[in-house]
Amino acid sequence: MVHINLKQFTALVLLAAMAYSTLSCAVASSSELYFGKTTPPARNIFRYVTGEEPESLDPAISNGQPEARIYMALFEGLVEYDPKTLAPIPELATHWRPNDDSSEFTFYLRRDARWSNGDPIDANDFVYSFRRAFAKETASRNAYMGYYLKYAQPFNEGKVFVRDPRNGNFLLAKDFDDSLPPEPLSGTPVDPAKGEYQPTPQDAQAPADSAFHQSLHTPLRLTLPGDEKSRTKLLNADPKLKDAVAGKEFVPVKAEDLGIEAVDNYTLRISLTLPAPFFVGMLAHQVFRIVPRKAVENYGEQWTQPGNIVTCGPFKLKTWQPYDKLVVERDPMYWDAASVKLDEIHFYPMSDNPTIMNLYKVGDVDAVLNHTVPNAWLHIVRTKQDYMDAVEASIDYLLINTTKPPMNDVKVRRAFNMSIDKNAWAAWRKIVKPLTAFTPTGIFAGYPQPTGDAFNPDEARKLLGEAGYPVTKNSDGSYSCPKFPVDQVEYIYNTQESNKAMAEWMQAQWKQNLGITVTLRNMDWKTFLNAKNKLDFKGFARGAWGADYMDPFTFLSLFYTVNDSGSGWSDPEFVKLLDEANRTLDSKKRYDLLAQAEAFMLKAQPVIPLDTASVNWVKKPYVKGMYPNAASLFAWKYVYIERDQAKWDFGTPSLAE
Amino acid sequence: MLRFIIRRLLITIPTIIVVITLTWALIRLAPGNFYSGEKRLPPAIEKNIREKYGLDKPWYEQYAKTMANILLRFDFGTSLRFEGQSVNTIIRRSLPVSAAVGILAYLLALLVGVTIGSIAALKQNSRWDYASMALAMLGISVPNFVLGPILVLVFSLSLYWLPPSRWGGFPSKNLILPVLTLSAIYMAYIARLTRAGMLEVLRSDYIRTARAKGLSEKDVVIRHALRGGLMPVVSYTGPALAFLLTGTVVVERIFALPGLGNYFIQASLNRDEPLIIGIVAFISITLLFMNMLVDIAYAYLDPRVRYH
Repeated sequence: MVHINLKQFTALVLLAAMAYSTLSCAVASSSELYFGKTTPPARNIFRYVTGEEPESLDPAISNGQPEARIYMALFEGLVEYDPKTLAPIPELATHWRPNDDSSEFTFYLRRDARWSNGDPIDANDFVYSFRRAFAKETASRNAYMGYYLKYAQPFNEGKVFVRDPRNGNFLLAKDFDDSLPPEPLSGTPVDPAKGEYQPTPQDAQAPADSAFHQSLHTPLRLTLPGDEKSRTKLLNADPKLKDAVAGKEFVPVKAEDLGIEAVDNYTLRISLTLPAPFFVGMLAHQVFRIVPRKAVENYGEQWTQPGNIVTCGPFKLKTWQPYDKLVVERDPMYWDAASVKLDEIHFYPMSDNPTIMNLYKVGDVDAVLNHTVPNAWLHIVRTKQDYMDAVEASIDYLLINTTKPPMNDVKVRRAFNMSIDKNAWAAWRKIVKPLTAFTPTGIFAGYPQPTGDAFNPDEARKLLGEAGYPVTKNSDGSYSCPKFPVDQVEYIYNTQESNKAMAEWMQAQWKQNLGITVTLRNMDWKTFLNAKNKLDFKGFARGAWGADYMDPFTFLSLFYTVNDSGSGWSDPEFVKLLDEANRTLDSKKRYDLLAQAEAFMLKAQPVIPLDTASVNWVKKPYVKGMYPNAASLFAWKYVYIERDQAKWDFGTPSLAE
Repeated sequence: MLRFIIRRLLITIPTIIVVITLTWALIRLAPGNFYSGEKRLPPAIEKNIREKYGLDKPWYEQYAKTMANILLRFDFGTSLRFEGQSVNTIIRRSLPVSAAVGILAYLLALLVGVTIGSIAALKQNSRWDYASMALAMLGISVPNFVLGPILVLVFSLSLYWLPPSRWGGFPSKNLILPVLTLSAIYMAYIARLTRAGMLEVLRSDYIRTARAKGLSEKDVVIRHALRGGLMPVVSYTGPALAFLLTGTVVVERIFALPGLGNYFIQASLNRDEPLIIGIVAFISITLLFMNMLVDIAYAYLDPRVRYH
């Protein structure tokens, strides 16, 4: 009697809880147009979940996306990302001009820009900020973004020039390296008669010349490692170099050698090592945003703390409570303060997706970062009118460690690629588009994206047979590949539910089409990165890459050296095509060359492309001026809260201009 | 008593040194760095970072420096992940959050747990007893990562009564759900401990004596039985309170609270060495201290302990 009571009681409580949760779930999911409450906040305060707690408010330090969005509120650069297309739009620079081969750019700055403490902003702020960002001591993780600047790389690496003490001449790089491309215009003497700048109606006058400018316009100098040990090692390996260096003095590459110059207070000239037509597009990146010299020099590492920090963006820091919230408010000193519509932005640092979505549903936040809708919720949230559905400049793929057998055989790699049905994968994943190339589809207008091998299990089995691992068909219709060394291949991924599902999906495809069962192994994020970056894995690793800037090169450059991608693959032929492309001024021809390089790489199959990702986030319909662009970066001054319900967004706002 | 306290304090120091050393070694054994990311950094940039944070020095130098700073100046250094933020500041800032939630949860657990446990013991084998013990069983069996989301589902997402997460200061409505979630298991545990303790005491000779003296039932229970019956609860309180004070990883994560537990888990995932060491050391010290308090409280509550 008693026992029954006890059981009944427990069962009843459990049942009630379950029934209630199912019921509330059902109530929440049906019929409503939007996911959760849609009451606009009382004041013009925008509440946003930006992801992890920011590492630092110093734009030179962090390379994370959560931080990038906060920097976009606090700091400005020469240009800003267009809210829809992400193309560079004028910000502190009103306009700019490239020289004839895009190896040098002149920026004309606005004269009314001020720091949040009222100090004026001029070209010297850029010179200081760039020199600081690429200095060795700053140890910026983004410094590589600036390596296009003349001498930025040797400066960041702490290298030295080699100078002849007798005549003061520097040794030149081209005399010791035959593989160097021809000097760009920024590396040849300035010819005032001919001029590398074609006059435009906007600026009839070419920018003033200077001694520094002329000194930059000489062939690239040779640089050697700064520390004695590695320099000696290098010299011992190269007798010709060793002879040439004998009796010469080593001069450290200094901040003043960098290819950036304040021509006057409001004109800035940037000289590059190579032609880089996409360079202006990179300049909205955080590492190129300016920092306040006085505050940095006064407070050192503490300059970003509330009370010390001085900013230059549309918003300034109000309060910062780590892991709780970071509040920025409209800065009256901002040059365009009149067009800033929000009074405050509250950034909430959170990373647990269900928690974030709950907060959104009850209306405590107005929008959330990308990739927050959990897979299991998609079938409900995707039908709502506040779900953002747009392509993303980001791809998913599998890396192959091409340095270890059996995956060092391109036939084996191609076989594994051809045995994955990417259309089926995309259909299963719901929000992605199938991909056979290594650049995202539908992002770079006019880019003739090549196609890789299509799904073809018969061909895959044939290739595997040619590689010495014949696939046999069993009586029940399944396949087996007894000779394949399965113990030499595994699939690693970082622990996460969706990564696990993806791994199992791929495993099933290979089992089904090749008769090979690949072992799956999960590890925590940092362990995974370590294994991937050091090529300390056999077989496959989960891969994903999002654009650093809006150009196919940001994807293809992953294979520029053997170290970058995690596949151990690169090829001189491929690198030559990339270099040639970047020297090509005609953007169509350049795209053709990049596509050729991509096709070359796809043939070598260092990766198995899977899909072009889609954005996956929600924003309340009353949030306007915020678009699901391809990198989820938002210029905050255009964002506002619309109180007129008739003007609310219904569905994904259009990205068309 | 004083000698006892001093002896306990002295044992604490070598214990902490061992804890810190082990933590330090374990972090070094874990693959990956605080700066590693999706794209591999060029070797030169990696070198710059290692030089900036002194990671290029030999391990014994790094170890000696860390130890000296902690032992001599009680300075855990600067977080690697959070540029310019000292570990001491981070602990000072996040401890009140964890402590507020933890202490409230424990007070609630004590209040409800002791009440339910006493009732169950006094009305042993009655309907009350079974009902409260069934509830306690449920409280112990349902983990907080299940209870938390269910509470959120009911009170936030369906009824819109309470905020689903985030820290809203102290006191605020935001505290209710995390405190409830956190206290459930302690409540249940305390109820069971109280019941068991009370049952044992209620059968003892001195309670019979008290009753024989003609004391009212109220006096017997509150003045005599409860004092003895709560001994197991007291010994449980030490470690429980230490853990509650220093943050509870799961609850702080579910409710996005800026507490010590949240920092701890993130610091481990980020390989933020100074922060991990700082928090581990802090938790160990708290735990040792709480256990000492428990021993003292024991002596106070039970004269027999004092004599030994």
